[in-house]
Amino acid sequence: MKDMPQTVFVVDDDDAVRNSLRMLLKSAGVHAEVSASAQEFLSTYQASQPGCLVLDVRMPGMSGLEMQHELNLRGATIPVIFITGHGDIPMAVEAMQHGAFDFLQKPFRDQDLLDRVQRALTRDADYRARLRHTDRIRERLASLSPREREVLELVTQGKANKMVAGDLGVSQRTVEIHRAHVMQKMEAGSLAELVRMMMAVAS
Amino acid sequence: MTAPTPEVLALLAATLDAVVIIDDRGRILAFNASAEEMFGYRASDAIGRNVSMLMTSTDRAAHDGYLKNYLAGGDANVLRRGRDVLVRHRDGSEFSVFLSVDRLPGTSPPQFVGFLHDTSLRRKALATLEMERHVNRLYLDLAQVMLVATDRAGLVQLVNQRATRVLRKQGPEIVGSNWIDNCVAPEDRATARTAFRALLMSGSDEPQISEYRVRSAEGEDRFITWRGVALRDRENVATGIMLSGEDITDQRRAESEAHKALERMNSVSRLATMGEMAAGISHELNQPLAAIANYAQACARLLRMPAADIPEITGALEQIANQALRAGEIIRRIRSLVRNEDVRRESQDINELIRDVHGLLASDARVHDGRLALDLAMQLPRVMVDGVQIQQVLMNLVHNAFEAQGPVHDGATFEVRIATRLTDTADVEVSVNDLGPGLAGEVEQKIFEPFFTTKASGTGLGLAISRSIIKAHDARLGYRANQPRGACFYFVLPAHQETTP
Repeated sequence: MKDMPQTVFVVDDDDAVRNSLRMLLKSAGVHAEVSASAQEFLSTYQASQPGCLVLDVRMPGMSGLEMQHELNLRGATIPVIFITGHGDIPMAVEAMQHGAFDFLQKPFRDQDLLDRVQRALTRDADYRARLRHTDRIRERLASLSPREREVLELVTQGKANKMVAGDLGVSQRTVEIHRAHVMQKMEAGSLAELVRMMMAVAS
Repeated sequence: MTAPTPEVLALLAATLDAVVIIDDRGRILAFNASAEEMFGYRASDAIGRNVSMLMTSTDRAAHDGYLKNYLAGGDANVLRRGRDVLVRHRDGSEFSVFLSVDRLPGTSPPQFVGFLHDTSLRRKALATLEMERHVNRLYLDLAQVMLVATDRAGLVQLVNQRATRVLRKQGPEIVGSNWIDNCVAPEDRATARTAFRALLMSGSDEPQISEYRVRSAEGEDRFITWRGVALRDRENVATGIMLSGEDITDQRRAESEAHKALERMNSVSRLATMGEMAAGISHELNQPLAAIANYAQACARLLRMPAADIPEITGALEQIANQALRAGEIIRRIRSLVRNEDVRRESQDINELIRDVHGLLASDARVHDGRLALDLAMQLPRVMVDGVQIQQVLMNLVHNAFEAQGPVHDGATFEVRIATRLTDTADVEVSVNDLGPGLAGEVEQKIFEPFFTTKASGTGLGLAISRSIIKAHDARLGYRANQPRGACFYFVLPAHQETTP
């Protein structure tokens, strides 16, 4: 999973724009795949594919905004950079409200596009890494015994072993043993790290 | 004088013939309801007076003599035998009746009863005539049109209620007066006279149509469509005219409102179309431009690489050329579109055009929490322009001015002012002034370039199109800084020299 290459997906109905974008991205060393319509893209795209989307707003058939809506329904988190031939504020606002990553008016400087693409790819990678991270934390949490889970909750609330022992009605020594198991199973080097893990999965 | 018995009176009341009873001296003792109707006297007025009042002057003098003669034992033939006689109505008119007279039995001194049967039918005819007149009058007054009849001299003979209402005058004020001099609006009197003469001289009964205004007693003018016919005597000589007039003032006003509304719709829709067209054009044009930029930038990158892929770069360059041609084709299409706009230049009052467009722009002002003020010079010469196009330019400039203000702070209102003034060269300057930030130097250079815009949602075509419209009017759309601040867009239209024929 981690090694899956990032792809910039370009969706634009205009042949010249689409092909020139592919060439521009390729010349900058970015792997691009192009589609001539929203339908064509949606029929092949898997949400697990990392990358970002460069999407034309105005297209016959399904528009860019409609496609964004469809992606949201599918739970796809791929960042979307909208490109438009005619800057339209209400449309841009709508796109941004629905989670568009950025908005770019044609024609654009290559660096403006490449910078945005780079930021979008970074965010996608970060998001996917975070997703993998939380998945791992959840796996580790699942391996805890009910008692260890209780100890973890209380410890991460900032309670000292003595207080935890009092709360649970066990000896302080027992708490220390459970706590050691928790740290080991969660692969946490410190209490602070453990707290961060809990915060990551809480959201 | 002995009054008839109640039985006799009841009998008389039930009799359809007129019955009059007199005494030996000719004084009326009884006068039944039919007699009242026949002669026009009330019984109470008639009783006690001499019966000669019902007679014509020739009979009147002789009647007392007849009576004396009879009483003296003379010819009794006068009784019982019926005969036709002329009698006299209260109103002086004479008519014939069949009369039979007899002596009332057992009366002494004798009383005489006369039975009168209306044979002439005159009264009936008169009643019918009266009824017809009344009905005709009702017809006239029920009519929704104005009805006016005049004699040959144009003196009014008859007007109906509708006409008196439109003219806000009483019938007697109109009848007998000269129709054209008293009721027609002064500006239209010549027209009315021509129509009047044409009617009198026409040999046909076909109604002739004319249209002129009447002026009411309150000074209000009403537009009337008239249908006129000549009235003729038996020798077919025109004795006057009859006019029926339909008040079309409200209709006229409605038409002119509808016309104005349509004009506004037109200019609004043309403006909307301009906006849509501009959006379409900029999208169309941006596609090839984006492709050109992408290809060119890709080529630059590829050429910087150690082993440049020449065939790929060549292909991209060919694409750049193609896309540039495509952009040129789009621009040619726009130009032909703009050229096809038919320009209708007419002599116009520029202030009027501005006031017309003011209403449309008021909503624009409200959207921006602003106010649109007019500062119009009086007594400007007229200008030769396509009104709709000039209004389009004004709408565009005012719209820009409101957009330029940026967000409004602490509820302050933003004012845009359209001003007109006479220039030193006696031409007409129109300017749109705002109190916004004005234009930065570099922006000022580019402001009239097509597709240049400082607005995120701008098309960059508004000013360019405005400038080409003004240029087509042999004028120039210019910019100067407004004092004390803000922007001022202005254009100077040449004064139109009215050519007198």
